[in-house]
Parts: sequence; C-alpha cells; structure tokens
Amino acid sequence: MGNSLTGDLPPGFLQRSKDWLRRELFASRVDGLLSLVLIGLILAALFGLLRWALLQANWAVIQLNSTLLCIGRYPIEHQWRLWLLTFLLAATAGASWGLLRSCRRADRPGLLWPRNDRIAAAVLLAVCLITPPALGLSLAVAGRWLAIAGLLLAMRWLLGRLGRRLGADAIKWFALVWPVTYLLGMVLIGGGFGLTPVASAEWGGLMLTLLQASFAILLCFPLGVMLALGRRSNYPLLRWGSVIYIEFIRGAPLITLLFLGQNILGFLLPGGLAPERVWRAAWVLTIFAAAYLAEAVRSGLAAIPNGQMEAARSLGLSTAQGLQHVVLPQALRVALPVMVGQFISLLQDTTLLSLIGLMELLGTARTVMANPDFLGHYGEVYLTLALLFWCCCAALGLGSRALERRLDPHHLPNL
Amino acid sequence: MIAAIAEEATQSLILEAKDVHKWYPNGFHALRGANLQVQRGEVVVIMGPSGSGKSTFIRTFNALEDYQKGTIQFDGLPLGNDLRHIEAIRREVGMVYQQFNLFPHLTVLQNLTLAPVLVRGRSRVQAQQRALELLARVGIAEQAGKFPGQLSGGQQQRVAIARSLCMDPRLMLFDEPTSALDPEMVREVLDVMQGLAADGMTMVVVTHEVRFARQVADRVVLMADGEVVEIAPPETFFTNPSHERTRRFLDQIL
Amino acid sequence: MGSNLTPPQLRRGGLNGGDNPGLSQPPWWRNRLLIPWLVQALVGFVLLLLVAFLLGNLVRNLTAAGLLLSWRWLGQPAGFDIAESVLPFQAEMPYWRGLLAGLGNTLRAVSCGLIGATVVGTLAGMANFSSNGLLRRLVRVYVELVRNIPLLLQLVFWYFVVFLSLPNGLAALQGPGVVLAKSGLYLAGFHNGLHWVGPQLVNDVWQAPLRLSVEFCALLVGLVVYSGAYIAEVVRGGIASVPAGQWEAASSLGLGWLASIRHVVIPQALPVIVPGLNTQYISLAKNSSLAVAVGYADLYAVAETTLNQTGRAVEVIILLLGTYLVLDLLISALMNALNQFVRIKER
Repeated sequence: MGNSLTGDLPPGFLQRSKDWLRRELFASRVDGLLSLVLIGLILAALFGLLRWALLQANWAVIQLNSTLLCIGRYPIEHQWRLWLLTFLLAATAGASWGLLRSCRRADRPGLLWPRNDRIAAAVLLAVCLITPPALGLSLAVAGRWLAIAGLLLAMRWLLGRLGRRLGADAIKWFALVWPVTYLLGMVLIGGGFGLTPVASAEWGGLMLTLLQASFAILLCFPLGVMLALGRRSNYPLLRWGSVIYIEFIRGAPLITLLFLGQNILGFLLPGGLAPERVWRAAWVLTIFAAAYLAEAVRSGLAAIPNGQMEAARSLGLSTAQGLQHVVLPQALRVALPVMVGQFISLLQDTTLLSLIGLMELLGTARTVMANPDFLGHYGEVYLTLALLFWCCCAALGLGSRALERRLDPHHLPNL
Repeated sequence: MIAAIAEEATQSLILEAKDVHKWYPNGFHALRGANLQVQRGEVVVIMGPSGSGKSTFIRTFNALEDYQKGTIQFDGLPLGNDLRHIEAIRREVGMVYQQFNLFPHLTVLQNLTLAPVLVRGRSRVQAQQRALELLARVGIAEQAGKFPGQLSGGQQQRVAIARSLCMDPRLMLFDEPTSALDPEMVREVLDVMQGLAADGMTMVVVTHEVRFARQVADRVVLMADGEVVEIAPPETFFTNPSHERTRRFLDQIL
Repeated sequence: MGSNLTPPQLRRGGLNGGDNPGLSQPPWWRNRLLIPWLVQALVGFVLLLLVAFLLGNLVRNLTAAGLLLSWRWLGQPAGFDIAESVLPFQAEMPYWRGLLAGLGNTLRAVSCGLIGATVVGTLAGMANFSSNGLLRRLVRVYVELVRNIPLLLQLVFWYFVVFLSLPNGLAALQGPGVVLAKSGLYLAGFHNGLHWVGPQLVNDVWQAPLRLSVEFCALLVGLVVYSGAYIAEVVRGGIASVPAGQWEAASSLGLGWLASIRHVVIPQALPVIVPGLNTQYISLAKNSSLAVAVGYADLYAVAETTLNQTGRAVEVIILLLGTYLVLDLLISALMNALNQFVRIKER
C-alpha cells in the first residue's frame, strides 16, 4: 500500500468522496443545476465580504474603541476591579468545568480530558492569543488575557483531579460559590465595603450587557418556577393570578415594558424608593423573563407523569418535598433546552436597553458611531457586535446541549 | 412466629372501610358503599372486572383519592380531613403501582433512601444499610447503583416493592403490580410478594393473577360496579362462590 | 406483630399512641378542606396589599405631578409630523389621529411581514428535506446565523449598512418595474388608475406610482429574515413529525418530491405547524415595535413621541399595551380558526 496516487489516504477515499458528492450535490439534473447556482452565489458572497473586510473596511474603529465597547465609561482608576472580577470568574468557571467533568457516573467512566474539552480549551487559548493583537492591545493587557485563560484551564485541571476524590456532593456545594462570586462581583463593580462607589450610570458596554442578562437570568428562575407551579395549581386564585401575569407579560412587546419601567415605576413607588435607570431596566427584564421561563417550566412539569407525585406522597413525602426532590428535578431537566433558549433570547433582548438610552453594548456602539471620527463605520461595528453575540449565543447553545447529554442518558421515564 | 401472627390476626383489625362512596368531579359514582375489613397479617386479594372500582377503592386507603361518604379507619385512625392522620397513614402504608413509578432521575439506592431520610429522619448511612438489606431480599442487591431505566420491568417492580418496604409499612397496597409486565417477568414479582406474605406482611392486592390469589390470599374479594360483592376464602371463592355475579366473572377469566 | 418488617421502634409518631384521636377535631390549619381556602386567602391578601400599595402611590404621585388620569389631551393638536403614513396625518391634527396613523403603520408592517416571513419560512423549512445536500446545509447556516444574533442588531444592520449605503439617482439598482435607491423602493403601478407606469427619473429624483421608504424596507426585510428563520424551524418540526412511512408510501405511488410534500406530507404536518406559527406570528407583531430603531413611525414610535411631548405616561402606556394585546388576540383568534379548519380537513 501507499505507492498509488492516493498516497496515505484510506482505500476508496476518492471513490467515497465522489459518491458523497454525487449523493449530496448531484443526485439529479435539477439538483446539479441548483448546486452549481448555489456554489456560485456562495463564492460571490464570500468574495464580496472578504474584499470589503480586507480592502474597504476600516477596523481602527474597533481597535480604538475596544475598551469602550467592553466596559463603557467605567473610570480608568478603578478598572483593576474589573480585571480582578474577570480573574475570579475565570477561576470559578474553570473549577465548575473541572468538577462537572470529574463527577463521572459509576456506569459511564469518562476521560478526564475528552475530545470536546480539548477542543474547547484550544479555542479558548486561541481566542486569548489572537484577539489582543488583533485589537492592537498593549502587551501587558494581552498578557493578562492569556493569564486569565491559563487560570481557567489550570482550575479546570486541578478540580478535574480533585473532584474525583471529593465526590458528587462537592458539586452541590460548589453551586453555592456562584452566587457568592456574583455578589462579590457586584461589590467590585459598584463599590461599597471600602471601595469607591462607581455609579451605575457609568457602567456600560459588554459588561453592562452581561450584568443585565445574568441578573435577569438568576432572578427570573425562582420567580418563573413559582409562576409555573402556580399555573398548574389546583387553587383557582393561584392559577388565575399566574395566568394573568404570564399572559399579560407575554402579550406585550418588551420595549413597551421597558418604556413602562422607565416612565411609570417612579410613580408606582413612594418618592425616593424608585431604583436607578439601570436597575429599573434590570427588574423589568427579570419580570419579563420570568413569564417566558414559567412557560418553559410548565412544559417540563407537564411531561412528568402524575404517578411520580403520587408515589412521593404515598411514601409519606409532603407536597413540597415531592416537588423539590421528585418532580422539579425531572421537570427542569426536560425543560432545560427550552430554558436555555429563553436565556439566549434574553441575552439578545438586552440590546433593547439601547432604545431607552442605556449604554449597553449596542448603546455604546451607537455613541462610538456618533463620534465624528468614526462616522459611517456602521458595517465594521455592527458586524463585530453580531460576531460577539453569535459566539456567546452559540456557545450557550452548545453548552446546554452538552449538559443535556450529560444529564440525560437513561433517566427519562420509560413509559 | 406464624402462629403468633395468625392468632393476633383474629384479634386486631388494621383497616376498616365502611360504606365508602366516591363520586368523581364529573359525577361518576365510582364507589357505591364499598365495605372491607383487613386483619393484621392478612393477605386480601381484590378481583373484579375493569371499571369496577378496585383501584379507586385501594387508592382511598392512603388518601390518594378522597371519598365523600362513609368511613375508613387505619389502625384506629380515621382517614378524614385531618392532615395529621393522612400524613401518619401515608407513612405507615406502602403502595406499589402498576407503572412502578420509580423516580427515574435517582439511582435505585437513592430511590430507596429518599423517603426514610426525609420522612423518618434516619441518617443516610442507616437508610442505605436498610435499603441494601431489602434489595438483597428482593434479589437485586447488585443493581443498587443503576438507574431505573436500566432495569427490566420485573426488576423495576421489585425495586418499587423494596422502596415501599424501606418505610417499614404496616400495610402494603398493590395496585395491579404485574399488569404492565411482560409475561416472563410476572413470576419474579409474585415470588417476592409471596415471600412478603409468608413473613407476615399485611397486604391488599388488586390483581388478575388467579394462581397468586389461590396460593397466597387469605380472602378473595370480588368488586363489581363500585361495590364489594363477595368476600370468601380462595377455595370457596374459586370453586363454590355464593353470588351469581362472581360466577359470571369467574367464567370469563378462568 | 413480631414481624421483622415492622420494628416496634418505628411506632413513634403515634398512630396508636395518645388518646383516641378519632374523636378529636383537627386544628383548623391541618384540615384538608380548609387549607385551599387558607392558602388562597393569604395569597389574595398579599396580592391585594401589593396592588393597593402600588395604586395608592400611583394616585398620590400623579396628583402631586398634576397628571391625574385624563384623556382630554388626545384631542389636542399633535404638533409633530409623521414621515410616511397609510392614514393621512399632519402636525395640526390631534394626538389620537397620530396614534391611529402609527397603528396603521404598525399594521402595514405586520401584515406585510407575516406574508413575507411565511413564504420565506415555508420555503426554508421545506428546503431542510431537499435531496440537495448543499441547500440543506445552507438553510441550517441561515437559521443558526439569524437565531443567534439579536433582532435589533439585524434591523440596524439592514437599515444603516445595507439600505442607507444604496446609491441614488442613475446609479440606483434597477430592475423591470422596480428601482431600489437610497431614497426608497419604487414600484411600477397604475397611474390615475389608467395606464401602467414604471419608475422614472425626474430631475435626478426617482418617481413612481408606488414608493416605499427605506425605513419600511429595512424593517420589513429584517422582520421577514428573522421570523422566517423561526418559522422555518416550525415547518421543519411539523414535516419531521410526519412518519417516514408516509414519504415512502408517496414515492412508491410514483409521486415526485414536490408532489409528495404538497399532497401527502404538508396536509399531515399542518396540525403540528399551525400552533407554532401562531406563536411566531405573535412575536412578529410584537417585534415590529422595534421599528423605532430604524426611524419608521409605527405605533410605539408615535407613542414615545407623544409621551415625551405630553408627559402622559400612564395613559400612553395603557393605550400601547392594550393595542398590542388586542393585536395578539386577533392573531390568535385567526390562527385558532385556521387550526380548526386544518383539523376538520384532516378528519
């Protein structure tokens, strides 16, 4: 073997590729024609895009404003707090990743670094290596990003090792680290406890986007679960209350609700109690997301047979215990894909805050383009934002699918 | 030991249902004055055509179904609107379902320890010890780490029985425990139930398994149209029933 | 009772213990019949308190600001202009005419969007089952691309990057009966209801019987592309729900791809598709409120201007929310009727 034209290729590789092409692209005369037209169109589009990106676009608008897009007008002298927070988040994320991977189940021993994890680690390193020079960041900043990636992977490695000894209960306890990190992050960003306060009006860019999305995701979860339970309750008052809330919120466009939050919340609360603009928006997002999450959870609850609750009750469990230990764990697992879908849309919906004058990512981008120096560079800025959102959302989707596979294997009721 | 139980059985009533009526919200009159007395240590098998109210009847015994008229007493406790009694009775009465109703997201061992830890307040270690004993007793100790979905139907039903036993119940209710099983798995479940009966467990079993009723039951009950038609020891019930309705039913199934 | 199944130490918690509990009445908070009422009374009370608190504040604060609920301002002249409107509107007309014009614009965008998104979504959804592998993959790329980028970003992209960079005058994109320029989309039509006239360049300005603004075009394209991707997924799900045996049966009868999908698969997929379409249509109607980002004067945009001018926050928001609720209900009612129709046909 090996002395033919195909070299090292496995035998029949050419034949198989030919078969594949024939089957997929040229199955019939019509298909062949269509394929040719499509290939032409795709090539033309790619060529046009490349020509624009390499020859016409002026990427300086991104390079010069990358800090602004990331954190808005956050005071320079306090930026170290955000770096600290990023390191903290990287450590927590790496640790969670390692722990999740290490808790192998008795029936399915897994590798410590399976293929997907190696790919993810490589992508992470590549992004942290390529992005800073591409943005023209200083060596010190580039080094910091590399250190952040390194910390994440180191924690991933460390906890991956330790996790096996700590056992499955470690994950439950570790889940508590996230809220603590979150609160710590709020203090680091906003100040207090000895740190100089930074007014929420000065928060901006990607940071504000992520802050708003994560706040709403965290808080809408308990609210949404309660509403879903309420909607399935036997008690008419609870049921109708939940239905009215859910349907009212779902019937209104988010922008009108945000508008309501900015203009009416001040009237609804006693003078002085109304939160600042950023927090008003965060609460409206939470209230909005809860209604959609409730529907996702409800679909999960509907998938759990009545027998589960009956079995729990006949074992002596109270309704609350049955929900907590039997019904909800299963229902949330079923609802997970839909819930992550809602979270992805919530992340996207934060762009609407720019319409009510908040400086989140899109709002900051608009101020960049209003700067006379960068007038008219819409394409560069919007494409960058689109890429950023696409990566975040696609990563969330991928993560949820991985989690789903991990949680699923045989667990669904086999009825 | 058996003799002692037998003696006690004659003295002590564990379950008494008197003139129980149930109407479903749609107005269907499911139970029309059903009566049943179960002695301690006794095995009662309930038979009857489908729709006769057998399942509904035993589901009232641990308040999974409410009833509108009549009385049910478990060990002297009235089963009414007092939640304290309902909770107490559910702790003491085990139930096994046609569809197993195991918790699919928990391992077999976790299925068994959940209620003892939460309801009885036992330590995890204690509960696991007892669970493993009972798993060994129903013959599947080696499956403790698996998830229910990985077991066969017969194994799942045996796990469900062990799960109920973990609460150390004083009465076990079986709602057609073998109806959802493939024929070759029915035997293993019935064997476990027979073993339970031999150990003196008080059981009320809704089933269509005639052989089980003949061999294990102390008394066999025929329910039809929401009423208890006939109660008799198995020999009498299957060979010389006193009611025309029983005869017709036996003609259909034998 | 010597059985090893009922160890005596488990008899605590007193089924048998204590005096005869059968005679004692349960305390009211442990009575099964009372608990639903107790819970509901408690929840109702809390809700009532909350509503009373909020409404009390609202009335107090509005009174203090001199803005107590009134609808008289609706009759005052608006004072602002609306660039394009289906219904005639000028600045000296009252506010309610302005809001009505905004509603007209919303309805125009929604109805055009519904048709466009349905066409795009149905084609893209069906393309998932094409025999051409390239087409199938292209549709996946389309759906994944659109669903992971915020709609608002897509809208401003279409408007600022695509439509505002179009040339004007002679350099505009021209097709038979169609001209697309920075100043708008010009379509051929009947002039004075008599003769067919195409777009013409008069003094370097395009003129045609029918002109659509670029704002409207950007909104429409953005909504159609976005909702089309979601509808494609609904259609794909519906078609995938039809058992494979149906395809095989159709092709064994000698039906081609198009014929089998039209006559065999789609009729069976429709009952699954229609409820999903309902959801997508409603979200399209709600999403049309993002028109304000591309400068199209829809209901929300007019309402925002109105609020800024009058300060009548509560009234404006009641009108806004009420209108969108009615719009949603209207779409739901139509789709439910369609659902009934589809089901009856299926039987």
